[in-house]
Amino acid sequence: MESIQYDVVIVGSGISGAVIAKTLTLAGKRVLILEAGLEAGIALEGEAAYNAYQNYLETFYKAPAKAPNSPYPDLKDAPSIDVLDIVKLQPGKTSTKGYLVQKGPLPFASDCVRGPGGTTLHWLGTTLRMLPNDFKMKSVYGQSIDWPISYDDLKPYYQMAELEIGVSGDVHDQNYPGITPDFFGQQYVFPMKKIPQSYLDAVISKKTNKLKVNLHGKTYQLSCISTPQGRNSVPDTDYPYSKIVWNNREKKLKIEHADPYSNLPSLWDPYTGERCEGNASCVPICPVQAKYNALKTLKKADQKNLNILTKAVVSKVIIDDKTQQVTGIAYKRYTNPGEPEHTTGLATAHVYVLAASAIENAKILLASDAANSSDQVGRNLMGHLVMLTWGLSKEKVYPYRGPGSTTNIPTFRDGDFRSEHAAWISPIDNWGWSWPVFSPGSDVSTAIANGLFGKALRTHINEVVTRQVLLHFEVEQTPDPDNRVTIDPEYVDPLGNYKPVINYNVGDYMLKAFEAAKIVSDQIFAANDLEDHTVYNPVTDPDYVVYKGQGYTFRGAGHIVGTHRMGFTKQDSVVNKEQRCWDHSNLFLAGCGNMPTLGTSNPTLTMTALAFSAAENILKQLEH
Amino acid sequence: MKTPTDHITLFTEISVWLTGFNEAELLATGMLDTYYQALQANSSQDDFSYFFKAVEIILHQNRNDIASTEKAIASMLMPVSAYNGIAGSIITMWYTGNWGNTVISGQAYIQGLVWDAAQTHPPGAKQPGFGSWNMPPL
Ligand SMILES: Cc1cc2nc3c(=O)[nH]c(=O)nc-3n(C[C@H](O)[C@H](O)[C@H](O)COP(=O)(O)OP(=O)(O)OC[C@H]3O[C@@H](n4cnc5c(N)ncnc54)[C@H](O)[C@@H]3O)c2cc1C
Ligand code: SF4
Repeated sequence: MESIQYDVVIVGSGISGAVIAKTLTLAGKRVLILEAGLEAGIALEGEAAYNAYQNYLETFYKAPAKAPNSPYPDLKDAPSIDVLDIVKLQPGKTSTKGYLVQKGPLPFASDCVRGPGGTTLHWLGTTLRMLPNDFKMKSVYGQSIDWPISYDDLKPYYQMAELEIGVSGDVHDQNYPGITPDFFGQQYVFPMKKIPQSYLDAVISKKTNKLKVNLHGKTYQLSCISTPQGRNSVPDTDYPYSKIVWNNREKKLKIEHADPYSNLPSLWDPYTGERCEGNASCVPICPVQAKYNALKTLKKADQKNLNILTKAVVSKVIIDDKTQQVTGIAYKRYTNPGEPEHTTGLATAHVYVLAASAIENAKILLASDAANSSDQVGRNLMGHLVMLTWGLSKEKVYPYRGPGSTTNIPTFRDGDFRSEHAAWISPIDNWGWSWPVFSPGSDVSTAIANGLFGKALRTHINEVVTRQVLLHFEVEQTPDPDNRVTIDPEYVDPLGNYKPVINYNVGDYMLKAFEAAKIVSDQIFAANDLEDHTVYNPVTDPDYVVYKGQGYTFRGAGHIVGTHRMGFTKQDSVVNKEQRCWDHSNLFLAGCGNMPTLGTSNPTLTMTALAFSAAENILKQLEH
Repeated sequence: MKTPTDHITLFTEISVWLTGFNEAELLATGMLDTYYQALQANSSQDDFSYFFKAVEIILHQNRNDIASTEKAIASMLMPVSAYNGIAGSIITMWYTGNWGNTVISGQAYIQGLVWDAAQTHPPGAKQPGFGSWNMPPL
């Protein structure tokens, strides 16, 4: 294998790496992926893929806390960031509990998977596009910064991303604030029809859709709409596309009509996972793989042009001092993930791509002293700040059924208020109070502690659990240079690689949005006659914040964004709009780290669109 | 001295009283033996045998009288101070598949009765099929 000349080396087999690998190999380029995770997880078909996945599932069943990373191996030599490691930080104290070294003042609360396929193994699969104004926050609202590209620039790549992920949705429902009728384009449909919305959605929407709410002296009319998502439903026969191909003559990627669209079943069996079956465990694992994960994209790569080296943990990008070109990527290869013994290797190619997720990408660059003439590497770490509110409905709503969320309230995704406070989106949750209070297990233990047993217990559980309603208010976080990833020789993992050190806080622009969102939430609760059970606990909640005397708790959404931003100039950013490092012309960065701001959509669809655009730019560079 | 079979019978009977699920529902989980063994493995011999003695007396003395059986269970078995909380642990096993915070087995998680009580299914198993969540449960 060492003797193969590669065109491109990619670090990471998550969705960003997989999309680039697939696009390049299908265009005839030879690609090597360096992947930190175990060999078993990279199996793309048949029994091997089935067995690896069943192992994850069995681990999930046995996990006491069914957290996002619970099904997947946590490797000492390539540790994953894990929400279970988040602790409340005491002022001035650092937590070294997990892979992240958390300096605070608040702990960063999102995680990701280090393993083949990456974090889409446990993502939920919500696939919303960003809104036009999200790309120009500075010019429209005087906040944050503008992107060097517009919504219209990204639009063709959004279509590619929707094909790749296999989005189910109803375009007619997608009315967002601040968009024009050509947002999707005339007659555009998603690859698959919408995932049925839940019964719970219907009950809550009855009183919430068209509800007028007051906020800071203004009236807003709420709407409840279906959410586009990357899980299989019924293919839409009107959907025209089935392929994304490199057109060498025009030097462009094209989305093409070839065969009728067919959805992406499980890796191991074409007749498993053709439809979402309602396992209601999408986070952390879809047992039938009806939900998209990046291994499905890797499977479509041209395998004869692709090599994947697993157990290879990248530590550094090697740069030639004179030319400022990358000359190789240094990695450490373990045999046993629990032992520090390893060999070292250097992977070489013409072009290099870091696609190891936002925090890891930044860390590798910092460890390499690379790409940082702007001093922006590691800075502007952001995520969605999820404020939850929960209550009991008079009417039974029957949660814990279906995908995590099938309906959202988009009303506050854009508007003039963005000059004052952050925007948010409100998904309606289908899984009861499991996130904030670990229901229904906690309902059982509380009932037992109260002496309930027998028929009375069974009835009590039925009465309580079937009425649980949970709303999310996912608040956009704006970039702040002091929210950052750094490295420190004091903190290394067993292989001697740096652990990411995180400084993190939340500014007033977001705190004001918590206040505003709570005002809106209270009106939704009142209209639906929900008995409020929301508690924000100052003592135990790690991300507890206070604004104007009121406390709020937010949680991480799993969206890790902004650590190597794209920008207009070499001085203000790490990559240009082609996602090439300003400092090294043969180094591309992929993933949510490139995003200058994040808007209110879950970031992966946008990031996937960007990955297609990066693949196109890499091909242009290679064909030059 | 009681033989293990007698204890399993008592375990089944008291499980019906504790969980609110009938014998057929409990047996249908296929977990009876596993839970009985987990109970034995996780309790001291004293707690275990005193608990079953108490169960036998309660069930015998209050035969066919629901109210008095429940009253006896509430006062003699449910307090945490009784037999180191065995009664609560039995309910927890049947409802969640856990002993304390430990999941007894993958099957135990899947067979958790809390999901039945809540008219749904355990996340990640016994999937009800495409679109089922669009309607109230059957
Ligand atoms: C609970 C949860 C729910 C989510 N839900 C949604 C959602 O509904 N919608 C949405 O848009 N987004 C969602 N996300 C976010 C989404 O999962 C991520 O944005 C996306 O998976 C990131 O893709 P990536 O390819 O950039 O990185 P990853 O998927 O994290 O992949 C990184 C890859 O790099 C490898 N790697 C890492 N370090 C190294 C190294 N040093 N050397 C070699 N290889 C390395 C990893 O093993 C992995 O294969 C969710 C996230 C979480 C945690
Ligand atoms: S609801 Fe179930 S079948 Fe559907 S995507 Fe989620 S886990 Fe998979």
